[in-house]
Amino acid sequence: MKKFLFIFLFLGVSSVVCQNKQVLYNWEVTPQTLLLNPGSLVTSQFHAGIPLASGFHINVGSSGVSVFDVFADDGIDINTKITNTISRLSSRDFFTINQQLDVLNFGWLSKGFEPMYFSGGIYQELDVIAYFPKDIAILAWEGNRNYIGKAFDFSHVSARADVLTVYHFGVNKQVSKKLTAGVRLKLYSSMISVSSTRNKGAFKTTERVGSNNIYEHTVTDLDMEVNTSGFISLDGLEQPQVSKKLLGRALLGGNLGIGIDAGITYEFDKQLSLTASVLDLGAIFHTKDTESYKAKGDYTLDGIELIFPELENDQSTIPYYDNLEDDIVREIPIDTLNTGYTQLRPTKINAGLHYDFGRFVGDNGGCNCKNKGTKQKRVSQAGVQYFSIFRPGGLQLAGTLYYNRRLGNALSIKTTYTIDRYSAKNIGAGMFLNIQGVNLFLAADNLLQMSNLAKANSVSLQVGLNYILN
Amino acid sequence: MDVKITKLFFIFVSLLLCVCCFDDTDFDQANDVLVTPEIELDLIYFNLEASKFYDYTNNTEILVVQDTTDLDFLGGNDIANILKGADFFFEFTNSIPRSFNVSFDFLNQDNVSKYLMQTTVASATADQPVVSYFIQSLDELQIKELTKAKKVLVTVTIPSSSQDLTGVLNLQSKTTYYLQIEQ
Repeated sequence: MKKFLFIFLFLGVSSVVCQNKQVLYNWEVTPQTLLLNPGSLVTSQFHAGIPLASGFHINVGSSGVSVFDVFADDGIDINTKITNTISRLSSRDFFTINQQLDVLNFGWLSKGFEPMYFSGGIYQELDVIAYFPKDIAILAWEGNRNYIGKAFDFSHVSARADVLTVYHFGVNKQVSKKLTAGVRLKLYSSMISVSSTRNKGAFKTTERVGSNNIYEHTVTDLDMEVNTSGFISLDGLEQPQVSKKLLGRALLGGNLGIGIDAGITYEFDKQLSLTASVLDLGAIFHTKDTESYKAKGDYTLDGIELIFPELENDQSTIPYYDNLEDDIVREIPIDTLNTGYTQLRPTKINAGLHYDFGRFVGDNGGCNCKNKGTKQKRVSQAGVQYFSIFRPGGLQLAGTLYYNRRLGNALSIKTTYTIDRYSAKNIGAGMFLNIQGVNLFLAADNLLQMSNLAKANSVSLQVGLNYILN
Repeated sequence: MDVKITKLFFIFVSLLLCVCCFDDTDFDQANDVLVTPEIELDLIYFNLEASKFYDYTNNTEILVVQDTTDLDFLGGNDIANILKGADFFFEFTNSIPRSFNVSFDFLNQDNVSKYLMQTTVASATADQPVVSYFIQSLDELQIKELTKAKKVLVTVTIPSSSQDLTGVLNLQSKTTYYLQIEQ
């Protein structure tokens, strides 16, 4: 229990909108930028990521609590701090972990009749979101004694965890002078998935009003479900066998799904542009190695009624307790199912309005002489970005203001200020370094909290190494 | 120029890594976490008719009636380790013009008594039901014995009975369990 709590809180350090990569979005043309908007402006001829190093992203966050809230060395009893934290959090608060690792990433400009930039690759992703099950936490932490008459809501239980690999291939094309569009097809191979969302029901203890006993404990309209895939076949296996199985699933041997990314860049003029993208519009079809648990029903418990039967010699007494257990199982059966299920991917939407200003990079009078016909970059860009993601508990939104400064062709620095429902002090920054085609980028947010991560609600880091031929 | 920029980049990275830390925190506090839920739960109830105390076939008094039920959740090491206290609350409503002795004997699997509670229920007067209460709070040592039990034997004893005795002895009961879960 304590380990669980510790991990929960340690990870709960909240850009909150966990998959928001506000620093990378519409930044220099890295392969990762194309993954955030397949309709980005592409100026390169070719790119190749260093396998397993071209892009790494991690974000852990929580929306209402930091490590400091619980583990502060302030002389206050930790149990008091946990009680206060449970009281302060709501069932809409959540904990998230998102990690992505680029295994392979490549792209090239096809100079045929219709020039197009093709890109593809493979990345691995871990995505976990767990909403704070407030009522269940109160029940577990304090019990029902001080909450007679309160309905503990099971809909607060909502969590999802996925480990998958994504195979993707996209195409990017300048459709007109002003419009560039792109689309990316994705094939998902799920390695492990567990989810429990859309639960409902309530547990309540009420004082007697015409009931048989002092209390009535009622479970009303219970409908809970946990879906798993990829777990059963791992049960009882040794570590090497588990690794082998997971590797097989990573290589398209898991439950498969399909999705699409699409995006555009629209240039109003040489300085003002609009970008937008929708990512992971798709689903995974869990058809094999699935196991689901479903509990549904209503039940009222008012204790055990003794009826003092007249028993003959050697006649056994009434098995009240066994009957009670049988009643509960009959009224709220827990079914184990092996039927398949479909799970929608958490769809993300990015959008941005960008304004380039200042002199031209390299000051060649607006001509990108190396790649004729493409727009030359100015030293400064500022803008506003929007991000949203569809989560089990609803849409999560974030807004970002940013400034991007290019120092020659070798270095670009982007700073961001992001605001969302839970945080209004998220400053992020990134550095993009280009040395003769070798590109290294590093981006992080919540920099104000870096001096003491314990007080941060989230930490996010992206790093990558690529070769880009302009 | 490139060398300078590279240096700048790595200084930025180093700074980022160097300044990251967890200050003013004490993770050893995790060892002090104590989960202490207090749970209210119904126990047993009955409605014992006065007729239960008379054998109409043989025209004889029945002075003692008994019934028993398993209480599986009470026994076992798991509950013994986390149950630190319990308050048993019994409420009798008696409309029989007799007093009663009632005992709750918590037995283990071999029917050996591990903990006994006894009380007296006052007689009803002039057809007016009498409500009486019996509360027993168990400390940690008593709980250790209680959690060795697997069932409870309820014995209701009446001093005398007759075939025209009427009324009902009603019991309602609950327990408050004080749990303490630590690492």
